[in-house]
Amino acid sequence: MEDWRRIDIDAYDPESGRLTVDDLKPPYPHILTLQELQPAIQQLRSYTSSGDFSAAVQLITSEPPYDADEQAKSQYLTGVLEVLTQVRQADIANIIKQLDRKQQDALIKYLYKGMSIPEGQKHGGILLAWFEKLTQVAGVNPIVHYLSDRRTV
Amino acid sequence: MSDIAAQFKLVKGPIYSHCFNQDRSLLAITYDTDCYVYKVFASKQPQLVAVLPDHDKTVTAVDISVHGRIVTCSQDRNAIVWEPLSNGTYKPTLVLLRINRAATTVSWASTGYKFAVGSSARIIAVCYYEQDNDWWVSKHIKKPIKSTINALSWHSNSVLLACGGTDGYARVFSGFIKGLDTKEQVAGSPWGEKFPFGSLVREWYQGAWIHDIQWRSSIDRVAFVAHDGSLTITDYTDDIITADSPEGLPFNSLCWINDHEILAAGFSNHPVLFSEGSKGWEVSKILDRPPKANEKPLLSTGNDDEEGTNFGMSALRKFKELDLKGKVSQQEEKSTHENSITELAPYAESNNNITQVSSVALDGKLVIYQL
Amino acid sequence: MSQSLRPYLTAVRFSLQAALNLSNFSSQEVERHNRPEVEVGNTSAELLLQPMHIARNEHEQVLIEPSVNSVRMSIKVKQADEIEQILVHKFTNFLEQRAENFYVLRRVPVPGYSISFLITNKHTETMITEKLIEFIIDFMEEVDKEISEMKLFLNARARFAAEAYLEQFVY
Repeated sequence: MEDWRRIDIDAYDPESGRLTVDDLKPPYPHILTLQELQPAIQQLRSYTSSGDFSAAVQLITSEPPYDADEQAKSQYLTGVLEVLTQVRQADIANIIKQLDRKQQDALIKYLYKGMSIPEGQKHGGILLAWFEKLTQVAGVNPIVHYLSDRRTV
Repeated sequence: MSDIAAQFKLVKGPIYSHCFNQDRSLLAITYDTDCYVYKVFASKQPQLVAVLPDHDKTVTAVDISVHGRIVTCSQDRNAIVWEPLSNGTYKPTLVLLRINRAATTVSWASTGYKFAVGSSARIIAVCYYEQDNDWWVSKHIKKPIKSTINALSWHSNSVLLACGGTDGYARVFSGFIKGLDTKEQVAGSPWGEKFPFGSLVREWYQGAWIHDIQWRSSIDRVAFVAHDGSLTITDYTDDIITADSPEGLPFNSLCWINDHEILAAGFSNHPVLFSEGSKGWEVSKILDRPPKANEKPLLSTGNDDEEGTNFGMSALRKFKELDLKGKVSQQEEKSTHENSITELAPYAESNNNITQVSSVALDGKLVIYQL
Repeated sequence: MSQSLRPYLTAVRFSLQAALNLSNFSSQEVERHNRPEVEVGNTSAELLLQPMHIARNEHEQVLIEPSVNSVRMSIKVKQADEIEQILVHKFTNFLEQRAENFYVLRRVPVPGYSISFLITNKHTETMITEKLIEFIIDFMEEVDKEISEMKLFLNARARFAAEAYLEQFVY
C-alpha cells in the first residue's frame, strides 16, 4: 500500500453505481468469433470479386457484425474497406440512395472506423466521398445516431 | 412570423428552466445562480418583481406549485422552497435533500404537497413538508439508477413518477408517500396493483441520454426525447413508437399538445410538431423555421476556376470573398431563438388542447409559440 | 480550394454539428464541480460518446471526441518534410501560448496531433454554434496556406542569405 492516497475508494462502494465501457455495451447472448464470421466475409469477398458492389454494400449495412469479437470485426472491416474503396465515385450516390435509415447508420460507422485505421486512411479520399454523398442524402441524422450508439462495427 | 405569439429578451445568458404560475400572471426563470420572478402582462415586457438569490451555484431548474410555492434547485446540491408572502417577497426554506452532488431537475406533483428532485448523485429525492418540524424532508429513490437524472415528470395521480437520465433508461417509479397519498389516487391504474414507495414500475432502454420525459396522464402514456434525436412514445403495454428529428439534431424538451400531438424542441433552435397518424408518429409541422433562401454553400469555395490566372487578382478575390462571407452571415435568416431551446411548457389551453407553448433557450429569450 | 479538401471539410463540419450539442452538466464524481468530461480521467463511461476519426490521408486527420458537456477536437496538419514539421510546431506553439485569446484553443495538443480545440458548453452558450464551426473550418482552410506561405518565405530568405554569404567568394 505505497500510494494509498490515490486509491479510488468509490470503486469499492457497491452502490456507487458507476458505469464502465463494458456496462454500456448491449448484452449479446453470444459473441461471434472470427471463425463464425468467416462465411459472411467469404460472401462479401465473392460479391467484391464479381463486382456486385451494390449487393455487397447492402450486405454489410443490413447485417453489421455488432456481436462479433474485436478480431473478427477488424477482419470484416478489411473486407468492407475493400468494397468501399473499389466502388467508382460516380456509383456511390446511387448505392447510397438504396439504403434505409438503419443501413445509413451502419454505413457511417464503417466510415468512421475505417478512417481511424491506417489502411482506411490511405484511401481517405474515397471514404470522404462516401461520407459526403451520405450527408447529402441523410444530413446530420446518421452522425447523431452514431454518437449515441454503443454498438460498434 | 405567425408562429410567434410573443417574444421577450429577459436576460443576457442561458435560461435553463422556466415556469409560469397557475393563472399565468407570474413567471420564474433560472438565471446563473439566481431565480428571477417576473410579473407577466398581456403584451408587454415582463416586469422583474423578485430575485431569489440564496443559491451559490448555477440554478438548474425551477417549478411553481398549484399553491404558488416556488421551488428551485441548483448545482450547489440544494433545493429551496420559496413561500410567497403577502408583501410580494418570498420566504426561503432549505430542503433536506441529503444528496452530495448537483440537483439537476425539480418537479411539483400536481397536488402541490410534494415534489421530486433529480440529481447527479444518481438519486431522486421525493420531498414533502413535515408539519411537526416545519421543514421539507426527503425520501430517496436509488435503485436501479446508474447515472445523472435529467428529467422528471409526475403523473396527474401524484404517485407515478417518470424519470430519464444519462444512463439511457426511461423509468417509472412510485413516489407514494404514506400519510400524504391515498390508495384511491392509484385505484384502477393500469400500471400495477401496489405502489410501495421507490418501487420500479416500468423501465425502457433507450441507449442515448434522455433529455426530457413527460406524462400524458389522461391516456396513461409517456413520451421522452433522447440525444440520438429521437422522440419515443410508450405506455403500460410497453408498446414503443419512435419518431426522428427532421433536422437530425437532438431535442431538449417536449410538451404534449393533446392526446395525439407533441411539440418538441432542442438544439435546432425551433420547435417541431409531431402528430399521431395511421402510420405512427410523424412530423406534421415545423414551427418558426428559418426560410432557406437557397441551400447555403457548405464551404466558401472561392473561385476555383479563376485560380492561378492572375496573381494580382488574389487581393481582389480576397476582399470579394470577405465581402461574400460577410453577406452570407447577414442574409442568414434566423429562427426566433438564436440558441438551443432548453425547455418548453404549456402556456394557454382550450378544450384539453394546448394552443400556446412557452419556451426558453440559451439565448436568454422567452418565446411564446402559437400552434 | 482543391477538390479533395471540400469533402474533408464537409465531413468535419457535419461531425462538429452533431457533436456540438452540449448541455450544462455538473460532475458526478466531484462535489460542486463542473468540469469538461472529455478531459478528466473518466469513471463514468456513459458521459462520453463515440469518437469520430476523419482522415484525408495518413498526414491530415481530425479526431473529434464528444462528451456530455465538452468536445475535444484535434487536427493533424500536413507535414511533408522537416521544414514543415518545424514550421507547424512553431506556428501551433505561437497560437497555444496565446490560447486565452482564442477561447476554444487547448494549450497542449492531444498526442499525435498538431493542435487541439476544447469546446465546452460555456462556449456554445455564449457563441453561435454555427459561427464556431465556421471558425474551425476557416482555421483548417487557412493553416495549410499559412504553412506553405511560410515555407516559401523561409526558402526565399535562405536563398538570399546564402547568396549574400557566397558572394564574397566570387572573384
